[in-house]
Amino acid sequence: MAPTTRSARLSRRAFLTAAAALAAPRLIAGSGLRFDGPFGETWLPAPARRVVSLGYTSQDPLLALGIVPLAIRNWYGDQPSATWRWARPLLQGATPPVITGEVSMERVAALAPDLIVGIGAGLSEPEVQLLTRIAPVLMQGADQPAFGSAWQDDTRRIGRATGREARAENAIADVEARFAAARARHPEWKGMTAAAAWHEGGQTGAFMGGDNRARFLSELGFRPTEALTRIAARDGFYTTLSPEDLSPLDADLVVWISAYESAPDMVRLPMRRTLAAHRTGREVFAGELIAGALSFGSVLSLPFALDALEADIAAATDGDPATVVSSAQSAGLTE
Amino acid sequence: MKLAALALLLCAAMALSLMVGFRHLTPEDYLAALTAFDPYDPAHVTLISIRLPRLLAGLIAGSALGVAGSVMQALTRNPLADPGLLGINAGAAFALILGTTLVGTTGAGALALMAFPGAALASVAVFTLGGGLRGDAGPVRLTLAGAALNALLLSLVAGVALVRQDALDVFRFWVAGSLTQADARPLAAMALAAGLGMALALALALKLEAMSLGATLARGLGTRPGQAQAGALVAVTLTTGAAVAVAGPIAFLGLMVPPLARRIAGHRLRGELVAAAMLGAAVLLLADTAGRLILAPGEVRAGIMVALVGGPVFIWIARRLRPGAVA
Repeated sequence: MAPTTRSARLSRRAFLTAAAALAAPRLIAGSGLRFDGPFGETWLPAPARRVVSLGYTSQDPLLALGIVPLAIRNWYGDQPSATWRWARPLLQGATPPVITGEVSMERVAALAPDLIVGIGAGLSEPEVQLLTRIAPVLMQGADQPAFGSAWQDDTRRIGRATGREARAENAIADVEARFAAARARHPEWKGMTAAAAWHEGGQTGAFMGGDNRARFLSELGFRPTEALTRIAARDGFYTTLSPEDLSPLDADLVVWISAYESAPDMVRLPMRRTLAAHRTGREVFAGELIAGALSFGSVLSLPFALDALEADIAAATDGDPATVVSSAQSAGLTE
Repeated sequence: MKLAALALLLCAAMALSLMVGFRHLTPEDYLAALTAFDPYDPAHVTLISIRLPRLLAGLIAGSALGVAGSVMQALTRNPLADPGLLGINAGAAFALILGTTLVGTTGAGALALMAFPGAALASVAVFTLGGGLRGDAGPVRLTLAGAALNALLLSLVAGVALVRQDALDVFRFWVAGSLTQADARPLAAMALAAGLGMALALALALKLEAMSLGATLARGLGTRPGQAQAGALVAVTLTTGAAVAVAGPIAFLGLMVPPLARRIAGHRLRGELVAAAMLGAAVLLLADTAGRLILAPGEVRAGIMVALVGGPVFIWIARRLRPGAVA
């Protein structure tokens, strides 16, 4: 009999513990929001209003949901308020200060935020712990990479943290519909190969796999060249090619990504001229602004990039070498 | 005899630089590329637009830095003197970063043309600061003036690079030193500048040797130290400036080649200069060729390869130094 009594007592205790454990989070969940993250859970007592954007690109989803951040982290490009052209009207005339380089905890604390967005900010665990003492820190999902989490996930998380889920879902659906419409307008893109190529400091390479620039092309229906697929399996989402062999780039569409509006080194690169894509007018040029939009890969920048590039990509892939691809021509790539 | 072996080494390095790389070229490719160049054939482009310019840039920069190092070590009587000691690399870097910031980003060719005047201005400044205009620029004064200007210019470079992303982008690719952009660099003009500098160094060799006995004794032997010094600085500026313009700053080459050249050619400056030119070119070409293979398909920059070899050689030189002796 004794074992039974003991187990009964145990189970009663277990039941009570379990009940308590279940009740506690429900109590909190009822009055707040929970998010998983790479360094543990984040808990918000209520949807946030005063937000500091520490992610290199998280200002975009915030602005898309109508929230002007108290301060914005600078990635690159020397833009006013670190906000690029596609997002600037959404600042509604505000000029939030820019946080450049390492994050100053004192500056963040002085802004008295009720949420710090650290998605894609490259924050370390000690930094997050320190920031959490200022305000809850919203990180990317525990299963997402530190950089390059899916833009849909970023937007959705920020939407939930700011109590604007419906607006976030609408924005996501809108961008996805735009890509679907582009795919529908150009069914020929499905199955074509494409490469997002770069050339800098005498070196040439490609963005691949989960990189925002490569993802943009795959969202339009393109697939990478076989050589790039093989390289991506080894190198991840970025590779440098031998200057003596650029053939992995020789796809049905080559989008040259440049941090600058003019790219004289890319233009004069002799090996580029050996690519069939060059000879048959299948190159597109993405300069500072459009390359920036592709690199941000956000709910705001992606439709901007699509609007800017769709006509050029169509001209490059129409099978007629004589069709002018305006971006490639003005950059001098067609010479 | 030793010089002949060195010449053979250089020829081998030149041949390897044309033959070895990621793309395999057949003997027919070489023939066809030279006789019937097709700009759309990757094999032809590899030879004519990549390997040949790299060979020429390696010859120019390597020999120029070897000679510049020898002249610097003779001039300062310091076996650890490097052509960069006179602020030439820092001057080139400063001109480059100023140019990128003011004019905006331009191509590799334009950058190279900014580097050369920057290098020249820096060495004139060092010579002036070191008392060269008064004719009493001793080796210590020159070294100190060079170190001061180096520190000043490099901190200015760092200051600009910190606030200007575009300048930093250009700078960090340039600063490692590489032959990959040889095709876009002004090779002919820089070959001329380096050639003039090397000829001047050879012409001044006897005077520099006399000066190694000390300014007073050199004067007694009929040398005018001020003139010889000024001439030597012009030679160093022309050679180092040309090297920086075609390959960026290649660390360690001007430092490690002269002591090895002295071992090969003996303690005659003329012989040392010839040996240093050949050895410098051979080392840089071999470094560039090895850099193509180590991480293929990616490339390790020649400047980094030279530094990898140069570090240990530098330690070896430093350990063999005896106070008062020239290594």
